[in-house]
Amino acid sequence: MYLFHLDRMPGYLSMLLFHELAREDVEALVIVSPAKPMISIGYFQDAQQEVNLEYLREHQLPLFRREVGGGTVYLDQNQIFYQVIYGKDHARLPQSVQEAYQVLSEPPVRAHGRFGIQAQFREVNDLITKEGRKIGGEGGANIANSLVFVGSMMMDFDYRTMANVAKIPDEKWRDKVFQSIEENVTTMKRELGALPDRYDVQRVLIEEFEKVLGPLERAPMPAWVVKRAQALGKQMLDPSFLLGKRKSRVDSFKVKSNTHLLFGSHKARGGLIRSVAEVEGPDLGGLIQDVSLSGDFTLIPKESISDRLEPAIRGAIRREKEILPKVEEFFAARDLEMPGVEAKDVVKALGLESES
Amino acid sequence: MAEVSGYLLPDELYYHKEHMWARVEGEEVTVGVTDFYQQLAGEISYLELPSTSDEIGQDDVIGTVETGKWVGKVYAPLGGTVMEVNQALEDESTLPNTDPYGKGWLVKVKATDLSELADLYHGQAAVLWQEEEIRKHPK
Repeated sequence: MYLFHLDRMPGYLSMLLFHELAREDVEALVIVSPAKPMISIGYFQDAQQEVNLEYLREHQLPLFRREVGGGTVYLDQNQIFYQVIYGKDHARLPQSVQEAYQVLSEPPVRAHGRFGIQAQFREVNDLITKEGRKIGGEGGANIANSLVFVGSMMMDFDYRTMANVAKIPDEKWRDKVFQSIEENVTTMKRELGALPDRYDVQRVLIEEFEKVLGPLERAPMPAWVVKRAQALGKQMLDPSFLLGKRKSRVDSFKVKSNTHLLFGSHKARGGLIRSVAEVEGPDLGGLIQDVSLSGDFTLIPKESISDRLEPAIRGAIRREKEILPKVEEFFAARDLEMPGVEAKDVVKALGLESES
Repeated sequence: MAEVSGYLLPDELYYHKEHMWARVEGEEVTVGVTDFYQQLAGEISYLELPSTSDEIGQDDVIGTVETGKWVGKVYAPLGGTVMEVNQALEDESTLPNTDPYGKGWLVKVKATDLSELADLYHGQAAVLWQEEEIRKHPK
């Protein structure tokens, strides 16, 4: 297996190369960062539905759609990417998805440990700190006859840009998205109080990968691979692939595995109710960690939203039969008025349908 | 129905080396992913499948599957014309997980050449193949 230690590469190439290596049956570990910021979306995402393309255009952020799953990610030189490409008949590495994640997550976990950061792999595909914050994301795919496993060590991260590239139903939730990312995602710089040296991080990561992959043959990236990757880029950057329509959840934003922001709205007789809820759990019926409600309805006293209704919903499981009684209790109070809005309207605004 | 080390493997079906199954009824072939495939892949979140009237060849990649962990491929066990795509998967992508040989079917194909069945595993040969795959790809 080769080691292609590339450090920084022009944005598209940093992502195209592993796609081409997989097609060419070249087994390798690639260590690379995009030289300039870019945005990458998962294979099944619909860029037009899920990415703030206008923001990308205004800030000249290139967009790339990878053949690996997952969501929208902001990439720049402060993330060290590891990309492992191996064949189906590899003697040492697992073919099953579950085992591949476990085995190939060990090197970045140990690499973090060598910098004093206690990290672990958490289902589905995140590396997290002991406080539960995401410090790295991973993904995999079958590309041609190869298995590809990719991930990153986040030395630093531009939270604001990440929040700005998500397409959300209402701009007023933008700060909420930023807040959620900032709370749930951490970096080596945050954990250590200073940005580590990128060459130290790369060296340690390679050492840890060699314990799993075996000795690697250091080599420069062959020119023919670069040329073919550039040709592949013409297909992958074609709007029909890049911006092709996909089925997507346009009402949610994944902050990390197990944490989603869900957006909802419902037109009650008394006005439009909008919601954003931070939900923790393996699916979207998990625990509501936080919720914000707004709209053009009338509520007297208006503080009741933040003082009583939102606190009543926080901590509940995101299911209609759990939420409805809490909202009904709010409406049963005699000291408030919310004309034209009933408990079931609030539940619908949270994106929940009746379970009866 | 045969069960091989915890993986269901219906006797009457034909199996492609990439863990697809084919149910042959005259010229109509229903295709899906095996229990082994879905167990190793994990919960399916998205599926990309061909469209009706698409012409496919045996061994062609005809679709993509995303689980939380992986993007995998779907292959054509036999060549032919896609007659129907399972629309239920639009709303319930996990059907191949919960019922891989029933409601979780993926496409129905009008086969061009049923002699291609000779390239697939069937009966006892399928059991032996599955045992070998289990040995090679532990969970």
